[in-house]
Parts: sequence; structure tokens; C-alpha cells
Amino acid sequence: MNLNPPLIIASGPGGNGEYLKLINPEYIGAYTLKTVTLNPKKGNLPPRMRDKEHFVINSIGLENPGINHFIENIEKYKLNVKTILSLGGDTKEEYIKIAEIIDPYAQYFEAIEFNFSCPNVKKGGLSIISDKDEWEEILKKVRKILPNTFLIAKLSIEGNFVETSSQIVAKHNWEGITLINCVRGLIIENGKVITGGISGPILKPISLRAIYETRKKLKDIYIIASGGIYTEKDADEFLEIGANAISIGSALFKDPNVVEKIGKYLKGVKK
Amino acid sequence: MENTYLTKKDVIKLNKDTYIVTFENIKFELGQFIMIETKNLVRKPFILGTWNNHPAISVQIKGKGTEYIVKTQNNIKAHFPLGKKFIPPSGKGMVIISPTCITLANLITKEYNCDVLVGSKTPLEYKIPFEFATGDVEFANKVEKLKKYDWYLISGSKAMENFVLSKIESNNIYVSLEEYMGCGIGACKSCAVFTKNGVKHICTDGPIFRRDEL
Ligand SMILES: Cc1cc2nc3c(=O)[nH]c(=O)nc-3n(C[C@H](O)[C@H](O)[C@H](O)COP(=O)(O)O)c2cc1C
Ligand code: FES
Repeated sequence: MNLNPPLIIASGPGGNGEYLKLINPEYIGAYTLKTVTLNPKKGNLPPRMRDKEHFVINSIGLENPGINHFIENIEKYKLNVKTILSLGGDTKEEYIKIAEIIDPYAQYFEAIEFNFSCPNVKKGGLSIISDKDEWEEILKKVRKILPNTFLIAKLSIEGNFVETSSQIVAKHNWEGITLINCVRGLIIENGKVITGGISGPILKPISLRAIYETRKKLKDIYIIASGGIYTEKDADEFLEIGANAISIGSALFKDPNVVEKIGKYLKGVKK
Repeated sequence: MENTYLTKKDVIKLNKDTYIVTFENIKFELGQFIMIETKNLVRKPFILGTWNNHPAISVQIKGKGTEYIVKTQNNIKAHFPLGKKFIPPSGKGMVIISPTCITLANLITKEYNCDVLVGSKTPLEYKIPFEFATGDVEFANKVEKLKKYDWYLISGSKAMENFVLSKIESNNIYVSLEEYMGCGIGACKSCAVFTKNGVKHICTDGPIFRRDEL
């Protein structure tokens, strides 16, 4: 991928292009759509999000209209920036099926990212990557179904060391990895437990380490950094440590303008 | 839609913890809201209205973020206008609200034929041109004595909404939902409500909903 600037809107917080109403597309390298799954998902019951001093916690539950609805309305998902499609599933079979369904449309997208943080429903809800054999089968089959697509595996730090998982992705000839997805967390609000995925500033040292360790092992794979990027300095650090591009998620909630600021900076435009 | 700086004009103390904040430069329609940046990580939504002929919100101080909006001397960043325009049915309406919706109530009275009842937990420290009740007992009395109206708009705490809903009967009840929001523009799906017609999002399908739809 050749992105200018090397700045990507992360899957989820950015929805399906809504932020283009607030951000000048010139400063966005690519926009990742919200993860689409084989079947439609209503998402989790509220509360779905809270923010604390250093993090955001969310349990959206992958609300999305499903791949068939997505394809029927594919025109609506064509944005005026390079677009990355994000796909997910509940089981191995779903990942493979969704790859087959999207195959005729793959050329519409700059790349396709597979969200591997989804729980494997058949295996008691553990992350899909925790069963290595099944996961390798997904990587192998998807590669075969989509031979010419720039394939990105989005990994979380749970279930395995990311550098080990990344090596498995590389072994199956996927072009890229996104490091990292949200980390499971919990807050207590008025005595009630709220669980969800943690994002925001608290993730930054964790994602920096994930990228650092992965880059040591893999010289050529395209790495997209995700987790706690809010400023030009954050972007610099991730690129120095070995990321090829940075992605921005939760910072959109603070100020959509951070994208323009970081994008301008990365394009070398005077601040 | 804009993402820009707001210029604060006046801050008026309404009761112990609620303030009206007026601004210079916001274009919006009745029922729409605004997401305002604070020192926190996520912007906060406020329903828009007017006060002294200026765009205005009403802010209850609940934490550092809301305190920042009231206290800061700086210009504040925000994106707006968000959500759907509210068009009440014909006839005379009754708007029952907590102080956090007073600027919305004020704007409705300018555009539509309606009365307003404000229920405040603590005594009002500022004179308002509406009927009001202080404390739960006085509020309950006033709600029970309400005459019949053609439509109702209710907005306040969940407890207040539930109480009012148990006391009035009408096919034209509207509620303004005040839930947590991440983006305010339909992107993040954090503001979902499960309705009779499926999953809706407060920021794009609301924030004002027909009660019988929920
Ligand atoms: C509200 C919300 C929804 C998300 N939804 C998705 C999703 O659908 N697919 C996905 O791969 N990641 C999703 N993520 C994870 C983000 O893409 C990103 O990896 C993570 O938030 C860390 O980056 P950040 O600190 O910049 O937010 C979501 C994150 C948030 C906060
Ligand atoms: S607040 Fe993000 S979708 Fe409603």
C-alpha cells in the first residue's frame, strides 16, 4: 500500500465514512470501514461506551448489517478516499464464507483487513486465533480465495504473543498486520460491572511494544499501528519503531481535527 | 455540519449545579444537539435551545468535563448541528423537563403553542418565565394536577421520566433521550436503543423519540 499520508482511520470508531463530513479527505491516507460479519449483528445491549481519564471502554458488539446487505448497498460504502474493508466472523467457517462472498468485489478496496479479535463462538468465545490450527486454516484459505488482494490481519495482544501471531500471518503470505485491537477491560459504575474493549492513550505503550517486537522478527511485512495515537509525536514514535502507517480511532471522539493535524504533519505540510 | 470553536457569551447559574451557557455562533434546528470538547477523551452531547435570543445549552455539573464547559474562559471546540429536527403534532403541548433542558423548552415555546413545567431538585437561583416545582413532592403534585394536552415532551432523569409517564396518558408523548455518545454522527454505534422497530441510534434517529416507538 502506498498511502499519503500514511494515516488510516481505524475500523469501528470511524463508522462507514461519517467523519468525512468533518475531516478534509486530503489528510486521510485510507479509511477503514466498520467490521462487517457474515450475518447481521444487532450489537450489545447498552451501556456501550464510557470514557475515563486515560481510556475509552466500549462494548458495541460489532453491530453491523451483515455482508449481504453490505454488498447490496455497496455504492453507499464507496468513499472519496482509499477504503479498507474490515471483515470478521464468529467461526472459522464464517471467515472463509465471507471471503468467498466478497471475492467479486475485492477490487473496490485498497485492502481487506480481517479482524481476528472476534470471539470464536464455537470454541467458548475465546479469540479466533487461540486455536492455532483453525486460525492457520483461515489464513491459508482466505489467501487462496483472495490471491490478489492486499490482506491485513488485525491482531489483539490476547491469546498469543503478537510477534508469534504475526509470524504466522507472514508465513501465509498476507501483506500486512494491524497491531493492536482493543484489550479487554472492566469498569465499575455505581456498583455495576461494565466490561468492554479498552482503547485510547492507555494502549500506546502496549501497542508500541507489540510493533517493536514484531518488527524485530519481520522486516518486510506492512505494519499498521493502532492504539492510543492522538498527536504528531505519537505518530512519529510509531513510525520510528517500525510501523508503515498509523491508524486513528478513539482520538476521533476527542477531536476529529487531530486527523487533519497529524495528516498535515505527515504530509510535510507546514503546521 | 461544522467542527469549530464556540464563543461563549454568558453563563447563568440556574440552581445548585446547573448553568445556562449561551453562545454566539451556532446554527441549528429545534431538537438538535451539539457535541462539545472538554478535557475528557470523549466529547459530551447537549441538546440545543435558546436563551436571551442566543443559542444556548444547559449544563449540570457532574464531573470535570461538564465543569470545564461552565468554567473555562477559553473558546470551546464542538461539532454541530446533530440529530433530527423535532416537529411536534398540532394542538397545544406540555413540555415537562429538568433544568438541563430549559433552553430547549424556551425555544419550543417560541416556535409552538405549549406550556412548560420545570422540575428542579434544588431551589432555582434565577427567575425563569416558566411554571416550576422544587423537590420531588411539589413536582409530583403539579404533574398530577396537569390538565389534558394534545402532546407532551418529557426530558429529564430516567426516574423523572418514568414518574411522569405513569401519570399521563396520550398517543402523542415524546421523550428526549440523554444517553452516552461517542461520535454524535452515526459512526461509532455507542448510542444504540433497542426499539420496537429495531436498533436505533440516538444521535441520528433522535435525540427526541415517540414514546410508543421505544
Ligand atoms: C467504539 C469502538 C468500536 C470499534 N470497533 C471495531 C471494529 O468494528 N473492528 C475492529 O477491527 N476494531 C474496532 N475497534 C478497535 C479500533 O479500530 C482500534 O484498533 C482501537 O480502538 C485502538 O485504537 P485507538 O486507541 O486509536 O482507539 C473499535 C474501537 C472502538 C473504540
Ligand atoms: S454517538 Fe456514535 S453512533 Fe451515535
